[in-house]
Amino acid sequence: MNEILQYTLQGLAAGSFYALAALGLAIIFGVLGVVNFAHGACYMLGAVVAAVLQDLLGLNFWLALLVVPVVMFVFGVVIERLLVSRLIALDPLYNFLLTFGLTLLLVDLVKRQYGVSGLPYTRPDLLTGQITLGALRLPTYQVFVLAFSLLVCAAVWLLMTRTRIGMIVRASTEKSELTRALGVDVNRWVTPVFGFGIALAGLAGVLAAPFRAITADMGSSFIIILFAVVVIGGLGSIVGAVVAGFIVGLVEAFGQAYAPALSQIAIFVLMALVILVRPAGLFGREENA
Amino acid sequence: MSSPTSTSDATGTGAALAGTGGFLGRSRRGWLLVGLGLVLALALPWFVYPPVAMDIACWALFAVALDLLLGYAGLLSFGHAAFWGGSAYVAGLAAIEWGLPFPLAALLGAVFAMALAWPVGVLSVRRSGIYFAMVTLAFAQMLFFVVNQWRGLTGGENGLQGVPAHFFGVEAVEDQAFYFYYAALPIIVAGMWFAWRVVHSPFGRVLVATRDNPARARALGYDVERYRVLVFVLSAGLAGLAGGIFAISHGFVSLQEVAWQTSGKVVLITVLGGIGTLWGGIAGAVVIVLLEDFLASSGFDGIGIITGAVFIVVVLLFRRGVWGTLSDLLGRRTGRSHAVERSISAGDGEEPTA
Amino acid sequence: MSTKRIVATAVVTAGVLALSACGNAGPGGAGSDEFTDGKLVLAVLNDQSGVYKDLSGPNSVKAVEMAVADFQERHGDDAVVEDVEVTFADHQNKPDVANTKAQELYDRESADIILDVPTSSAALAVATQAAEKEKLYFNIGAATTELTNAQCNKYTFHWAYDTYQLANATGTAVTEGGATDWQIIYPDYAFGQDMDKSFTAAIEAAGGTVGDHIATPFPNDNFSTFLTRAASAEPDVIGTMQAGGDLINLVKQYNEGGYVDQGIELAVGLMFITDIHSLGVEAFNGVNFAEAWYWNFDDENRAWADRFMEETGTRPSFAHAANYSAATQYLEAVQAEGTDDADTIVGHLEGKEIDDVFLKNGKIRAEDHRVIHDVYLARVKTADEVTEEWDYEEILATIPAEEAFKPVEDSTCSFG
Repeated sequence: MNEILQYTLQGLAAGSFYALAALGLAIIFGVLGVVNFAHGACYMLGAVVAAVLQDLLGLNFWLALLVVPVVMFVFGVVIERLLVSRLIALDPLYNFLLTFGLTLLLVDLVKRQYGVSGLPYTRPDLLTGQITLGALRLPTYQVFVLAFSLLVCAAVWLLMTRTRIGMIVRASTEKSELTRALGVDVNRWVTPVFGFGIALAGLAGVLAAPFRAITADMGSSFIIILFAVVVIGGLGSIVGAVVAGFIVGLVEAFGQAYAPALSQIAIFVLMALVILVRPAGLFGREENA
Repeated sequence: MSSPTSTSDATGTGAALAGTGGFLGRSRRGWLLVGLGLVLALALPWFVYPPVAMDIACWALFAVALDLLLGYAGLLSFGHAAFWGGSAYVAGLAAIEWGLPFPLAALLGAVFAMALAWPVGVLSVRRSGIYFAMVTLAFAQMLFFVVNQWRGLTGGENGLQGVPAHFFGVEAVEDQAFYFYYAALPIIVAGMWFAWRVVHSPFGRVLVATRDNPARARALGYDVERYRVLVFVLSAGLAGLAGGIFAISHGFVSLQEVAWQTSGKVVLITVLGGIGTLWGGIAGAVVIVLLEDFLASSGFDGIGIITGAVFIVVVLLFRRGVWGTLSDLLGRRTGRSHAVERSISAGDGEEPTA
Repeated sequence: MSTKRIVATAVVTAGVLALSACGNAGPGGAGSDEFTDGKLVLAVLNDQSGVYKDLSGPNSVKAVEMAVADFQERHGDDAVVEDVEVTFADHQNKPDVANTKAQELYDRESADIILDVPTSSAALAVATQAAEKEKLYFNIGAATTELTNAQCNKYTFHWAYDTYQLANATGTAVTEGGATDWQIIYPDYAFGQDMDKSFTAAIEAAGGTVGDHIATPFPNDNFSTFLTRAASAEPDVIGTMQAGGDLINLVKQYNEGGYVDQGIELAVGLMFITDIHSLGVEAFNGVNFAEAWYWNFDDENRAWADRFMEETGTRPSFAHAANYSAATQYLEAVQAEGTDDADTIVGHLEGKEIDDVFLKNGKIRAEDHRVIHDVYLARVKTADEVTEEWDYEEILATIPAEEAFKPVEDSTCSFG
């Protein structure tokens, strides 16, 4: 029982990274129709920027949680204006290819600049150690990651449901034709939304910095699992992305605990099952297939 | 597969329909170019180090296979490493365990790749566009993990070492790579010829119709999904053929062959060469393989910086790739009107996903 | 029709040309000269851009160049060969690239020897080429024991370390140090599985016990679940066989989980000084690991490390020192025999006992070409123990050459 609780927490904590990043991916897809292959690279950049700022300016983890997403937002805006917008009128596969090229470029640039062995990151003392509840020991950091990302997801949800911008984004994500037909000018929001999605990936990267190896390659297996997450959740669904993120985290944790050899395959088996039963994803709608 | 056009004039109408850029298919000029291409292919190991020449040929066929799917069915597979690598392992095992001559081993690998592609294709074509790319990528990753785990069979991280290159009892001693190239070239060329036949067959024309306007193709009574699965399987088979030869020419198979970076590399080569040009993959393979070979000895540690940047430029500015752009220039010079610029799905008839 | 004929003629002509020229293109007439092409070429084939760039990479090339310069200085005009070149190539940790590059180095750049080659799959691919081309190959960077067992060959030597030695050093020394109750976490691929087996054997031989053997996916960035499982058995020590980025993930999560406070130590199977350098000593507080060579071990090492620092601006890893040693011993063998003929050099080196900056009590085993030498158990210093940059390790124990490596009678190697 004890262990099951621990695995559940660990699964949800691992899922937090997927949920945050997938949320960004889904929002970008919703408004731009672009699947950002470079999302994993942006997650990596988030962690690298946090580590570099800590090294240069002594920026601590708590400030990094605020500053790095802003940096990544600006980066996203630049990428959108400079590259993505030029292909937006064409088949979305071109932007998929473009961001794939961008991934190669970013990963090797980081390798050249910061080496391959990984960057050091000083973890916040407050988050070290374990919380003990009776016989249950939970690593403090994981509890924090889970709580923080739930908070962010909730905040994004409020943004989506309570503000005009949010409603436009949500409407265009989930019913794009209709939104445009009603004369809502979605295009105005394209650039900031792209930046926002990148910022979410960067935020996931900052959360990973104290806890995972900060290397140029940290995003390359991450992006593939992220794709599985959005296929499972349904690309056109914001809720789906988040829920599927946590589901995949749980599958991973319990797989690792009880069938380590199959834990990575399990995620893709789940994905195959979803495609078989509900091609549009758990939360997607058929007409979008 | 009923088509109103007969196969006899496939060269003319087929080329126009499929938009191959008209390089091939105008009989005299076409044959001249085929001849030139063959002479160049035969001469290649004289200018390029023979193992590198072999790599170029294998990657070229791999890219042609991918273009068959991407350029003519509008489906971007980001998981083709599964077929290239899956076949590499089967071919390698067949050569080691049963001592099969390498053309048969590669063929067996290709058959395995097609068998693997069938269920993957059936599942993947349920989604098109971007979904298709992600789903194929995920399936390929599944195979990667299986190969990595199944150490008894595949050698895991150490790979499958010591794959022999038997050739019906003939054993090459000196300069093996040089002779192997000439032994393998006919298989590569046959693979390419097959891809060309597919494109210029009635099947190929229906395929292009399903790409440009699936709704219309469906209305005409074509089973779009079945066509897509079929071309997926054919493409996987050719990719497998290339992968099998690649493995045997190197004498081993490694996890690299099933890794997603390999899928990425072949997409890179195909797009660089020119989507929907079929032969563009050859140009792309020459450029990328030589570039990588050069960079490996140059002391510059950032291959991705160059390939990534080149790729971005190509996607932004030269979407017709090396082959398409060249063929445009040539076409313009000889004053011949040319196939219109196409995007991956020119008609964009696919139901929008957003 | 006429064009067809032209094409056919062209094809046939090209084919005939190809065949006829081939006769001349064969390997140059060997024999008369002691040195093919009148020169000696040492080639370093390693990772110039990926995960092993810092561990070996460009600085291994520098180390080999130092060996050549020293050789030329030592022998001056008496050197049997004047023209000694050092060349290199990047295998990007991809075995197919390594395979092609090895052929190219042997054939095109007429390399007499290939050095380094980290990454097991790449290392084994190059061994196959060495056997085929009958040219020398001294492996330094790869850890697989296959090189001196099932896949050994006459022309391949394994110079620095291997999985058996790593596991044996850490497993034995830590267990004898009192931490007898182990849990092992290993990545589920060839390297990790080998390490798990070797570790278990070493621990049990030293009187310890291993509870669970926990296999993890590779690569993997989340080890929390595995650490929880291992810690729940309340062992003395968790042994991890992870390497590179995965090791950093695991160590970070070990620190995060506060297992040190529960009295659970961490022993690492494979770790390099470059890992400590990039992450800082805090990240590895008190971790035990096996080291094949340490720059600040004695005066001899230190003197060489100072020279290396002048050349490269950094301290050498064991791989750099081993490259220097391998190149030096090769050059001396050539000097002694007066030829670059591979078979002669192999004959000269087999069974030879060597003491140099890298090989302490070194010996080249004739039976399997394993090069044995003293190795060490090291502990990562705490931040306040560090007195200068790269001063990261405290050597806890020296494992004598004879005990450090897999006994020769257990080797499955035969040069048949």
